[in-house]
Amino acid sequence: MRTKQTIAVLGATGKMGSAIAKSLSKGNYRILLFSRDNTKLGRLKRELRNAVPQADVVSVDCSYNACWEADVIIAAVPYSAEKEVADTIREVANQKIVISVANPVNNNGDALLTPLNTSAAEELQKLLPNSKVIKAFNTMFAADFNQPEIDGKQVDAFIAGNDDDALEIVRDLVQTAGFNPVIAGDLSLSRVLEHMQLLLIRLSIKHNYNRLAGWKILHH
Amino acid sequence: MYELFFKNMTEKVKLTRDQQQMIRQYLVPKKIRKNQYLLQEGDVAKYAAFVEKGALRAYSVDEKGTEHIIQFAFEGWTISDMYSYMTGEPATYNIDALEDSELVLLNKSAQEEILQRVPEYEEYIRLQLTGAFMSMQKRITSMLSLTLEERYIQLTQLYPSLVQRVPQRMIASYMGLTPETLSRVRRKIKERWE
Ligand SMILES: NC(=O)c1ccc[n+]([C@@H]2O[C@H](COP(=O)([O-])OP(=O)(O)OC[C@H]3O[C@@H](n4cnc5c(N)ncnc54)[C@H](OP(=O)(O)O)[C@@H]3O)[C@@H](O)[C@H]2O)c1
Repeated sequence: MRTKQTIAVLGATGKMGSAIAKSLSKGNYRILLFSRDNTKLGRLKRELRNAVPQADVVSVDCSYNACWEADVIIAAVPYSAEKEVADTIREVANQKIVISVANPVNNNGDALLTPLNTSAAEELQKLLPNSKVIKAFNTMFAADFNQPEIDGKQVDAFIAGNDDDALEIVRDLVQTAGFNPVIAGDLSLSRVLEHMQLLLIRLSIKHNYNRLAGWKILHH
Repeated sequence: MYELFFKNMTEKVKLTRDQQQMIRQYLVPKKIRKNQYLLQEGDVAKYAAFVEKGALRAYSVDEKGTEHIIQFAFEGWTISDMYSYMTGEPATYNIDALEDSELVLLNKSAQEEILQRVPEYEEYIRLQLTGAFMSMQKRITSMLSLTLEERYIQLTQLYPSLVQRVPQRMIASYMGLTPETLSRVRRKIKERWE
């Protein structure tokens, strides 16, 4: 696509938000950063512009306005904040792609907060019934964005959602970020994807992967 | 956010509150800043854009790199590369914002669904298309048979805020003239009124 897509990153100064914003600023995207912390946001913006001089990155001081301007919205916020975020952006996120990054992991990092018959992404879809919620960027660590190739292999990044056009647009985003996009299936597959990350977190702690680890499907 | 959109529609056809609510579910509210593109040549035009606030233009670029403005759109107008929107073929137009703007976007499959569900909307679209057809006929006739002065006057009647909001070189491009010729036309009209 030649026409520049506008991406709003909510929770932009967080570990995931900043990693995603940085990796996408290399692509043909206009990036709108939103954070409740203006000092951190200013620092992030300078950092991004130094790293990628041609980057089209601006900060927006209101998430409602950022999402009004956006074509794609990335909710890089904790699961616990999704309801508050959804309530703020619902009107302007109408019919837009909203990427759910959240893993609803408990504080001990040993279980998910969601029951087995749902997921953070499906809960977000219920909160935003007229948006196209897509699960993406949840099966890797923030540190992987600096190094999407581990042990010589490109990390797989799984995507789930119900709208084909939206899945294609998110596939391009994931590819721009340096990962190998794998469309897993409809949004209910988010349950599996969120559990995959729970496993990765637990293995990372157990084996001291230093949060530099990811999934790779081996196939012929 | 959708005020003008529904105002224009309900001036032409009767819609219940529920019908308006239903249509609303399909609409994409979109802000775009000055100089940004809504569509670039080569991409498929996924949306028709209704202008709530602001101004846009559609233009094509010839082999020599010259821009030809096809259409302006101010408040209450709809803009797209209709050929691309209807057929799914790559667009031959570029559409960009002349001012910071607020749009209401509607994609084709959403439009089809509304057409199925709201008969009054079909009536509205029919009126819209008839209007668009008549203005296209008017534009062709004026190109072929009016003097430059008459064409300029007709244009300022079609878009009353054009002269205040759009640079002269773009008006010239819309009329297929050089900026020099356009300023000669404007001078002549002024002399006549004085
Ligand atoms: N870290 C990872 O490796 C990783 C991997 C995969 C998925 N994830 C998921 O990504 C999400 C973000 O994780 P993180 O590690 O980046 O966390 P983080 O560093 O703590 O960042 C979270 C961000 O969310 C924002 N936030 C918190 N509450 C909010 C609210 N009520 N409204 C709006 N914004 C709010 C904060 O923004 P302010 O700047 O406004 O305070 C903060 O920047 C989580 O859902 C997590 O499960 C993380």
